[in-house]
Amino acid sequence: MPGIDQVLSQAMGIPGVLGAGLIDWTSGLTLGTAGQAPHGDHDAAAADTADVVQAVTRNASFDTAGAGGPALEDLIITAAGSYHLIRFVHTAFDSQTYLYLWLDRAQANLAVARLRLRDLAAELVAS
Amino acid sequence: MGLPISPPPPAPAGLLDRFAAERVTGALSGPHGCFYFLDGAVYCIESTAAPGLGSRLTAAGKLPPQGWEHAAEAAGERRTGGRFLVEEGWLTQGELEICHLAALLDAAFFALELPPEAASFTPGTAHWLGVIRPVSITALQQATARRRALLDRLQPWAAADTSPVIPAGTPVPAATTRRQRRLLDRADGRHTPYELARLLGESAFATLLDIRLLAAAGLVLVPPPPAPLPRRRPGACLDAPPAPATAPHPAPAPQRSVPDIFDTTDPNIALLVRLRTALEEEL
Repeated sequence: MPGIDQVLSQAMGIPGVLGAGLIDWTSGLTLGTAGQAPHGDHDAAAADTADVVQAVTRNASFDTAGAGGPALEDLIITAAGSYHLIRFVHTAFDSQTYLYLWLDRAQANLAVARLRLRDLAAELVAS
Repeated sequence: MGLPISPPPPAPAGLLDRFAAERVTGALSGPHGCFYFLDGAVYCIESTAAPGLGSRLTAAGKLPPQGWEHAAEAAGERRTGGRFLVEEGWLTQGELEICHLAALLDAAFFALELPPEAASFTPGTAHWLGVIRPVSITALQQATARRRALLDRLQPWAAADTSPVIPAGTPVPAATTRRQRRLLDRADGRHTPYELARLLGESAFATLLDIRLLAAAGLVLVPPPPAPLPRRRPGACLDAPPAPATAPHPAPAPQRSVPDIFDTTDPNIALLVRLRTALEEEL
């Protein structure tokens, strides 16, 4: 049964991935990391991506799902040379976490990475 | 030419930093919570202000009724309570780790306020859940500082933290989040944000933040601050009845108006009047 480390280790098998992490967006706390981070700093990447996620979660414009189903699925930042992929982890209990992937744009297939990360997020909490 | 002097190691900022540096194992109890250390890292925090792992999982329906107590009895002595929850099939390892860290982080927000003189350490004491995923004190302090900054932006609505949450009764605009709407639904004018967090098994920090946001949006009533004690004018109680309102003087300069009756030559009375005036100035 996978824990955080096993899921992050599987995330490292996604084509083009440079690094991965699980982060709490209300605080930027890293719950786990694998591989590399931009500028070699996983904690900075966690704090910076948490800022982005906070901006999205506090604005109701992005919450258009109504009462049913999880509101937010993923965020994609496309930059020169890399993709930053953020996937919300939806839990039955109260938590505010997301999986973060840093991908090499030349190596990665964004559509594949997105689907693989979706499955990993589900696996992390499926019971 | 002197030998190069290496800079001294940075002084530990506090008790917790010292515990981390000394790689202690045991339980540190303070006024707002209890930290469990293993080799200087924190693996569990309990705070009365924040719902713990058991409340969160039970409120979410992840644990059967009495499942938490059952785990404590069945695996508490071996300090493997966390593993027991997973082995019973109630949750995945990932869920255990995420929920445990969420609870730990939430408790840290309140427990980190730790005056050294009010803390007591018991070496070797372990928590019955066992070590699930330890976190460094530095990471916890940084995470808590970021959460603190979010809450401090809404400082003018801090009075809403500790008073019963009273919905304003106005129509709830669409621009509220799901979590905020849930809080408004549960708010009954009797429970404080801390109590709502406990009832819902949700983060106490996130609840405080949402209630402050709702107060700022006018959707939750904030109790008025206690009225300050009136600043007394020296000799005020000796004044004649207030002047008729027909001649309002805009803020007259403070003056000492003592009726003639106290213009006495008796040194004792003069002393008493001076004392009384001085005391009133202190009020």
